[in-house]
Amino acid sequence: MKLLNKYNRINIAATIGIMLVTGIIYYYAISHILTKRIDKDLVLEENEVFNYVSLNHKLPDVYESNHQQITFLPLGKHVIKRRFLDTVYKEVDEDDMEAGRALISSVKVGGQSYRILVAQSKVETEYLIKIIFQITICVIFVLLVLLTVLNRVILKSIWQPFYKVLAQLKDFSLADKAIVNSTPSGIDEFKELDQAVITMAGRVKTDYQNLKAFTENASHELLTPISVINSKLDTLLQTDEFTDRQSKLLNDIYGTVARLTRLNKSMLLLAKIENGLIGGDEQVDVKAILEECLYQQEEIIHSKNITLETTLGEMQVSASRLLMEVLLNNLISNAIRHNYSGGEITITLQPRQLTISNTGKNTFDIEQVLKRFHKSNESEGTGLGLTICKKICDNYGFALQYNFANEKHLFSISF
Amino acid sequence: MKILIIEDETGLRESIEAYFTGGDSVCETAGDFTSALAKVSVYRYDCIILDLTLPHGNGLDIIKHLKNNQHNDGVLIVSAKNSLDDRLTGLDLGADDYLTKPFHLSELKSRVTAIVRRRSFNGNSLLKFNELSIDLDAKTVAVNGNFVKFTRKEYSLLLYFIANKGKVVSKNAIAEHLWGDSIDIADNFDFIYSHIKNIRKKLVEAGAHDYIQAAYGMGYKFTEA
Repeated sequence: MKLLNKYNRINIAATIGIMLVTGIIYYYAISHILTKRIDKDLVLEENEVFNYVSLNHKLPDVYESNHQQITFLPLGKHVIKRRFLDTVYKEVDEDDMEAGRALISSVKVGGQSYRILVAQSKVETEYLIKIIFQITICVIFVLLVLLTVLNRVILKSIWQPFYKVLAQLKDFSLADKAIVNSTPSGIDEFKELDQAVITMAGRVKTDYQNLKAFTENASHELLTPISVINSKLDTLLQTDEFTDRQSKLLNDIYGTVARLTRLNKSMLLLAKIENGLIGGDEQVDVKAILEECLYQQEEIIHSKNITLETTLGEMQVSASRLLMEVLLNNLISNAIRHNYSGGEITITLQPRQLTISNTGKNTFDIEQVLKRFHKSNESEGTGLGLTICKKICDNYGFALQYNFANEKHLFSISF
Repeated sequence: MKILIIEDETGLRESIEAYFTGGDSVCETAGDFTSALAKVSVYRYDCIILDLTLPHGNGLDIIKHLKNNQHNDGVLIVSAKNSLDDRLTGLDLGADDYLTKPFHLSELKSRVTAIVRRRSFNGNSLLKFNELSIDLDAKTVAVNGNFVKFTRKEYSLLLYFIANKGKVVSKNAIAEHLWGDSIDIADNFDFIYSHIKNIRKKLVEAGAHDYIQAAYGMGYKFTEA
C-alpha cells in the first residue's frame, strides 16, 4: 500500500471517528441547552399561574396556544412531586403527535390542591437540532474531501525528495561509473536520508573499486613469477637427457603452468573489461575474425571429427578488435569443447545476428554458467570463458542468448 | 647477433641470457633503468629486449632516447602489462614488436630473430639455411631451388624451428605459437605431431636433410646437421 493511501485511510478513519464522537457530544449538548430553555419557559408559565392564583385566589382560565398547553387537575389527598418530563405533545388543530416537554407541578387554591401540567412542543428544538446536524455533516464531508486533496498535494510535494532518492537507489549499479547525485530538500529527515544514501553509495563503490583493483593487481603480479617458471622450464629443457619419467613430469608441469597462465590472463581480461580499460573501438569485420578463428582451430575441429557448417554473411561492428576476437574465439572453443566426437557445429552470420550451435549431451543452466569459475566436470577450461563473453556483450550492448533444443546448444548474439 | 636484455626480474633475465647466448649470439644485460640507459647510450645492439616496468624509470623512455639519438636498434617490448595503450605507445615510438608475459623462450627467440632478420636484410627477404631457402615476403620455401608447398601453419612452424635451431622446443610452446590461447581445447598434442610429420616428410621428399628430431617426448629439436 502506498504511503499516501495508508496515510489517507488512517486520516479519514480518525477524522470520521472524531467527528462522530463530537457530533454525538454536540447533539447532546445542544439538546440539553435547548431543553433547558424550554424548561425555563415552562417555569415562567408556572410562575405566572402562581402569581395569578395568589392575586385572584382562583385558577387562571385555560387558554390554548400553538406551542403551549396548560391543564389543571384537582388532586385528592396525595401530594405530587414537582418534575420535568419528556412527553408527547398534540397540537390543537393537528392530529399528529410531536415530541414535547412538560412540567408537572401543584398549586393550592382555597384549600384545594390542583395539579398543573404545562406542556410545550419540542418541534422547533428538534428542527433546530436537525439543521445543526445537517450542517455538521456537510462540514465533515467538505473537511474530509479537502483534507484528502490537501494531503495528496502536500504529501506529493513534501515526499518528492524521497522519491528522487528512491529512484536513484533503484538505478544504482556497482559497475556503473555514474555517482549518486545529491537531492536537495528542506526537510531534515530527507536531508539525512540523502546524506546516508550518498555516503553509502560512495563507500560501496570505493570498496568495489578496490576489490576490482586488487583482482587486477593480483593477476598482474602473478604474471612475473609465472614468466620466471616458464622460462626456467624452457631452460631446463635444454640441459640434458631426460628419462621417460622425468619427461612425463616436465610435461605435466608445462601443462599446469599453461593452465595457470590462461586462468590468470582470463582474470586480468575480465578485470580490464569491468574497469572499462579496453577502448580502441574500430570497425571490425566479424566475418574475417570468424574465419581466422576457424582456421586457427581447424585441426582441433578435425581431430574430434566434428562436421563444421558455416553460412557467413558480411558484417561489420564497431568494437575493440581484441575483445571481438576473444568473444568469438571463446564461443567457438566452447562449441568444440562441449561437443562429442563426430558431432556438428553450425555457424550462421547474418546482418546483426550471429548464431553458433553445436551438438552436445547435456543442457545447462545459463545463469549458473555465467557465474565465475563455473565449469562442467569434464571441462578443461578456466571457467571464465562465458563470463568474459557475457561481459563483452554487456559492454557493447549485444544480447547474448542461449538455448538448448534437440541435443543442440545454441548461442546467439544480436548486435 | 648482439642482444641487450633489459629486465629487472633476475630469474627471467638469467633464463633469457642463457637461452640466447651461444651460436652467433652475444648477450648483455641490464637490471634497471639507469644501467640500461648507460648501455644503450654507448653500445649498439641488433635487438634490445625491453621490459617496460623498470626500477628508476619507464622502459618507454629508453625507446625515446634511442629515437632521439637516431639509434636504429631493434626493440622488442616484453611486458606483463597487456594494455593496448602501452602496446600502441611502444609501437608508435618505434618498437618493432610487443610480447606479453608470460612467454616461452622459444617464442621470444623467434620474435627477436624476425626483428634482426628484417633489419639486417635491407630489402633482401631471402633466408638461406643450408639447402633451404625461404622467401620471407612471398612466404615460400624451396629446397635446392625447388619449391615445396607449405601451409600457413607449417611455414610458420618451420621458421619457428629455424629461429630456435639447436634448442629443444616444447610441445606447449609450439601449440601456443600456432594456436594461441585456444590450445587448451585439445585433448592431446597429436595434431602437433602430424604437423611436424608433414613438414619432415615434405622436406625430406624434396631432398633436404631431416632436421627436426623429437626430444624425449617433450618437444622437438631443429638440429644444424
